[in-house]
Amino acid sequence: MVEHGDIRVVRRGGSKINFRQPVITNDSRLLLCASGHSVKVFSTSTEECVHELRGHTDLVTGVVVKPSNHLQAYSCSLDGTIRLWDFTDGILIKTYDIGYSIYSIHTSAFHKGVVFTVTSTISDKKSESFQLVAVHLPQSGDQLVKAPELSAVISDVSSNPGAIVFGRGGEYIASANGLHLEVFFFKKQKTYRFFLKKDTKTGGKNTFMCVAAHPKDDCIATGHEDGKIRLWRNFNHQKEYTYSTLHWHSNAVSSMCFTPEGTNLLSGGVESVLVQWRYNDVSQRDFLPRLGAAITHIAVSPDGALSCTSHSDNKITIIQGIKVSAVLQGLVTGESVETDLMVDPRSKALVLNGKPGHLQFYSLKRDKLLYNLDIVQQEYIHELGLQQFKVVKVAFDASGNWMATVEERKQKDAEQELNLKLWAFDEQTQSFVLNTTVADPHESRITAMCFCQAAASQTTMLISASEDGHFKAWQLRRLAPDDGPSCLCDFVGAYRGLVPHCCCFSADGSLLAVSFQEVVTVWSPASWELLATLSQPPKAIRNLCFGRLSCSKYLLGTTDDHLLCCWNLLTCSLEWSTSMDISLLLGDPLTENIAAFCCHAGSTDLFVFKPSEPRPVFSLKAVCSGKVTHAVFAPREEMLESCEESSQWLNHSQLYFLTQCMDLMTFTTKAEEEKLMASSKQLLIDDSVAMTPFYLLLGKHRKGESGAAASGESAGRPPLPQGSGAVKELLRTPAHVLPSTSFLCSMFVKSLLVSVGDASEESKPAEEEMESEKEEEDSEGDMESSASRPERGSLARRSAEPAAPPLTKAQLRELRRVKKLDHSWLTGLLRS
Amino acid sequence: MAAETSSSSLQLPCVFSPQSRQYLALCAQDGRLRIWNTDSKTLHQEYVPSAHLSATCICIAWGPCRTVKEGPQRKKRKSEVVLGEEKADLLAMGTAAGSVLIYSTVKGVLHCTLDGGHSGGVNCVQWHPKDSLLYSGSDDTYIIEWDLQTGKARSKWKADRAAVTSLCVSPDGKLLLSAGHIIKMWDLDTKEVYRKFTGHSTAVTTLRFATTRPPDSNGLYFLSGAAHDRLLSVWQVREDGKDKNSVVSFTLTDEPQHIDLVASNNKEEAVRLAVVCKDGQLHLFEHFLNGPCKKPLSPMCSVQMSDTKDSPVPIPMLAAALAAGTRAVLLGYGTHLQPVMEKLEINTAERHVCLTRDVQTSMSISLETAVSKVKTPFVGDKSRVLAPGLPGHQAPVKGTTQGSEKRKKGTETREMSIAERLGEIDLSAVSTEKGAPKGTATLQTDNFAVLLLQGLESNDADILNKVFQTRKEMVIKKTVARLPLPAILPLMEVITKRLQGHPIAATLMVRWLRAVLMHHTSYLASVARSDCSSSADVDHKAKLVYEEESSDDEASGDEGLPDNDSDNWEEEEAMEEDKDPDSKGDSKANGEEDMERGNESEEE
Repeated sequence: MVEHGDIRVVRRGGSKINFRQPVITNDSRLLLCASGHSVKVFSTSTEECVHELRGHTDLVTGVVVKPSNHLQAYSCSLDGTIRLWDFTDGILIKTYDIGYSIYSIHTSAFHKGVVFTVTSTISDKKSESFQLVAVHLPQSGDQLVKAPELSAVISDVSSNPGAIVFGRGGEYIASANGLHLEVFFFKKQKTYRFFLKKDTKTGGKNTFMCVAAHPKDDCIATGHEDGKIRLWRNFNHQKEYTYSTLHWHSNAVSSMCFTPEGTNLLSGGVESVLVQWRYNDVSQRDFLPRLGAAITHIAVSPDGALSCTSHSDNKITIIQGIKVSAVLQGLVTGESVETDLMVDPRSKALVLNGKPGHLQFYSLKRDKLLYNLDIVQQEYIHELGLQQFKVVKVAFDASGNWMATVEERKQKDAEQELNLKLWAFDEQTQSFVLNTTVADPHESRITAMCFCQAAASQTTMLISASEDGHFKAWQLRRLAPDDGPSCLCDFVGAYRGLVPHCCCFSADGSLLAVSFQEVVTVWSPASWELLATLSQPPKAIRNLCFGRLSCSKYLLGTTDDHLLCCWNLLTCSLEWSTSMDISLLLGDPLTENIAAFCCHAGSTDLFVFKPSEPRPVFSLKAVCSGKVTHAVFAPREEMLESCEESSQWLNHSQLYFLTQCMDLMTFTTKAEEEKLMASSKQLLIDDSVAMTPFYLLLGKHRKGESGAAASGESAGRPPLPQGSGAVKELLRTPAHVLPSTSFLCSMFVKSLLVSVGDASEESKPAEEEMESEKEEEDSEGDMESSASRPERGSLARRSAEPAAPPLTKAQLRELRRVKKLDHSWLTGLLRS
Repeated sequence: MAAETSSSSLQLPCVFSPQSRQYLALCAQDGRLRIWNTDSKTLHQEYVPSAHLSATCICIAWGPCRTVKEGPQRKKRKSEVVLGEEKADLLAMGTAAGSVLIYSTVKGVLHCTLDGGHSGGVNCVQWHPKDSLLYSGSDDTYIIEWDLQTGKARSKWKADRAAVTSLCVSPDGKLLLSAGHIIKMWDLDTKEVYRKFTGHSTAVTTLRFATTRPPDSNGLYFLSGAAHDRLLSVWQVREDGKDKNSVVSFTLTDEPQHIDLVASNNKEEAVRLAVVCKDGQLHLFEHFLNGPCKKPLSPMCSVQMSDTKDSPVPIPMLAAALAAGTRAVLLGYGTHLQPVMEKLEINTAERHVCLTRDVQTSMSISLETAVSKVKTPFVGDKSRVLAPGLPGHQAPVKGTTQGSEKRKKGTETREMSIAERLGEIDLSAVSTEKGAPKGTATLQTDNFAVLLLQGLESNDADILNKVFQTRKEMVIKKTVARLPLPAILPLMEVITKRLQGHPIAATLMVRWLRAVLMHHTSYLASVARSDCSSSADVDHKAKLVYEEESSDDEASGDEGLPDNDSDNWEEEEAMEEDKDPDSKGDSKANGEEDMERGNESEEE
């Protein structure tokens, strides 16, 4: 085996963004959400990812804005740390080590220096239970801090962060778990518990799903499994509590949220309708329907301008008023990737089934969803337990002009409904156009579908194999001379009544291999003759793949009993076979390489080989944990020129695969990374932005400052004196790090009052005028002017000099004072 | 001079983002900046500068690509996130008021404003490829070098007597080309003129470096295009300084509007050039630059675009971008307010390529997708439906086991004859379409009636399928009319059976049902009396059509109608009472047809 240090497995995105409730920042510009091992910061207006906060080593389980500083945020993770970020610049400020896996985080503005986290209780019992713990964050300047002070607040809570909420003014905290609601009052240190029966008389289920607390009023709203919302009041009595019930949702209420002023309550569930209840007049409701998928979380920005909902299809919708203003859509990975991964030859996008009834086109280059293509074109009914059409198979032909999709609906009592649709790409409108719908193409599920990929073939041929024991060949033909081509069944094949599982065309389209359980049959598509049968008895064939280019005489197959077989099609005999538990066999469409993902001891190994050579081209152990069942070779747009033997297989195309937890991964070479790094010189730009009146004031002050400083020196661009550096630092440091304005004000005003500024400011415009005059004079000889300009400039400055020196001294003194003050304050803070 | 500058400002700026060409930035007539995503072909964002009407944007330039900022103390773990492809972020806009705006496309906000530098409109902005510097040339004849780290002008110098209309920074960042009255090459370290080039009589609108070689190697070339000029000139920067005239020129059909080129890195590499002219044509050139070439070069390939109407109207191209490795060209066409982006490979073997595009539909698709991100593919009436039973849905199974093959042989011979027969019918159908005399048409329906009868008698699915597939109203009508009465009931049975089957097949069957009802209602009514059992489901179906057709009948029996209606619309509350009306309400539910049928027979 060759050692391949230079090829790495890297994540290529696709992680969940709907795992936890997103957070909108105070200015409503940014949105923070937990995504895999990192926190993503999105812009709410452009939908772009502004920063990715990386540092956690395990799943991030919660993000909250720091209550005392709205430009910083806490994130917690299963790795047992809480991290404090400056999310506008994407900088990690501090790490608090808790030592236990954290499942969610809660903060309140009224508990300073304390965050509340949910951790699992250490118990012998197998059933995991969780407790709410208050963590006192120690104040220290270190980057990494251990937080030893933990105190349990409520035991037996839900791990769902939506089931814990702070009440009005942080006076109490409410937690719902199973069938009881618990309210803990911090002042009295007392807990009240309220229990509900499991089922109501009319069959409603009372299990708590989520909790929300009114920000101004003593009222807790709870959502239940049967779609009811209860508003609890007077809960500081064990007996005399009351509740009223609101009912609109037909399925469980999955998330609720009060608006910042408490005028409205937002709720959502599987119906994918955002319901807005008036707090004072509950009978009045507003709806925002057709949000696309079940709502999992709802969040409202602190100023109430924006609200956002995250959905089960890995999407966050940003809602402004009652209109959807932006959609952040991640890679939709439902329970299964039924269509397998495909690459659209036209747009080079990754294609797989996305939202129910849709195909998603996902840009691999930019880790961004391009669009969802509506294949089924039927309204999706958002209700639990309904069987609806799903796209289960997709295939593209070599040029991308034809696409075939299979949609199916499995109904319990009735027969299965199947539709095979053939779409043609219309150049004129630049979109797919439905060409033929084949209703019930087979009597049973379709197991495999493929297009003939040969470039030279005259007609387009599609093969579909089904559990009904037949495979059908569909061919495009013109029925009438003036009609467009449409798809007709050309041939139906069967073999001994066995069920076909895989089908595969050879590269030139002259052979078709169909596997019927343990037998591989080879057919000639031209005459539909059965040319040969190949078999390797004991177990069924799992994957089939033809060799390409120089290896086109080989046919490879893997079987259920961990065998990889290679048949020679010229002799129709087994060339070689080895014992390997291969979960996926994949041929590179551009080279003769074949990739095999091999499941071994809980993790997956990758082998890349050529069928004609005994030694693998590349092998990598433990690529990821779990089985890999979906992968695809995506052709590169620009060929890599790597001469190293081990990474040559990545020159033409890139290999992407989906892990068991639906992360999209790929392989990169060192050369590629270096290429990226080389061109990655950071562009530094002053982002002191727009012309606000405040900016004008500060800017003028700065100008005066530098003008005064410039007059002290005689060179063209003099370095600024040390004193002003401190002021500059003071002005440049972000406002949130500075002490209160009252503290700085007197200092500033004094520095502004010094009358030095006036003189130097006057001298500057004069100087500029002179410059321009002189340049205008010699507009003929530009060459000279540009050469002599610095001297002239310095001359002009010298002329203004006499007035300046005494004044600058006074200013310098002032600046030094400011500098001293500044530092004393800083050290003071550090010590406290 | 003024006329020249105004002509250059008439061109609306339209620029693809560098490297991966992810975005197309456009400033349309309304003064708004729109950024389109070329992947999803949707509007990515829109920015309205605060003074977009008074200080319109004259020129746009994309900044060098931003890379994802790395955390300071990051160690490389095994499966770490890759450095994403660099994102195009910053966009510099020069306005007519003399200020330069820098806009961040990632954040969607104005990043900073550089003003107080120019007294005239900014004609061109150019980023320094490496440092964070920006150059702007203006009507006030000055060039300003902006230091973006401080947001201030670092130096400003007078470039020419006339307005500076175009700028270009060399790929290595050491030289700057400026065009005013004459073209000047500046050394950026000293801000001295390195070379001067004269030749254009009108305002130079574009300047581009065509090679990436150093200036003292005789291999540095650049090209220039001017207003009202149908030539692109290529200039060589020669070591000996004898570079007074252009060495090569490319002929165009109109004044160049947008230029994209792939610079050559060495002598063996050709320069590839895509020029969009003012008349909306795209010209592609490929040329090896080594020394002068007397004859003006004509394009290797010209591309025009037209719409799909009967009298084609050309669609103007807006911009074109070439990719370094591949032959694919990214095109932007249509209007500035709503451009359409498309990536395609142009067959350069042909000298003239004409593409037809339906801009209207593609625009409407892109608009829908913008927010919802759902694209709906086009489903027209032209799409064919293959339901089970229709020809082409099934082909004879080719078995491989000997036993089954024997059986099939028998069936196949029988099938052959029918197939032949069906084929003949097809032929006759085709011939009638072509305007054959009517005699054959009647013969054909006669054939159909016979065939249908045969099919009904033998219960042969193939024949029935063939017959039921007809969509022509007349044929159906005549066939049904010719059918003998005893065949009607079996036909109805077949129709009802098929109606309950697949919905697509059902739509075909409805026509037959209607024809049957039109011709044989009286027969059906009389039969229904005699043997209710066999026609039970026939009745059930008949009801559906009946309500439509015999509206007169219903109108006459007005008194019964409101009752019926209210009954239908009654909500669930009525459910409890259901039992009561059932006993007496027989007449309403299933007695309805009976009554009406009675009427019918009476009329007869």
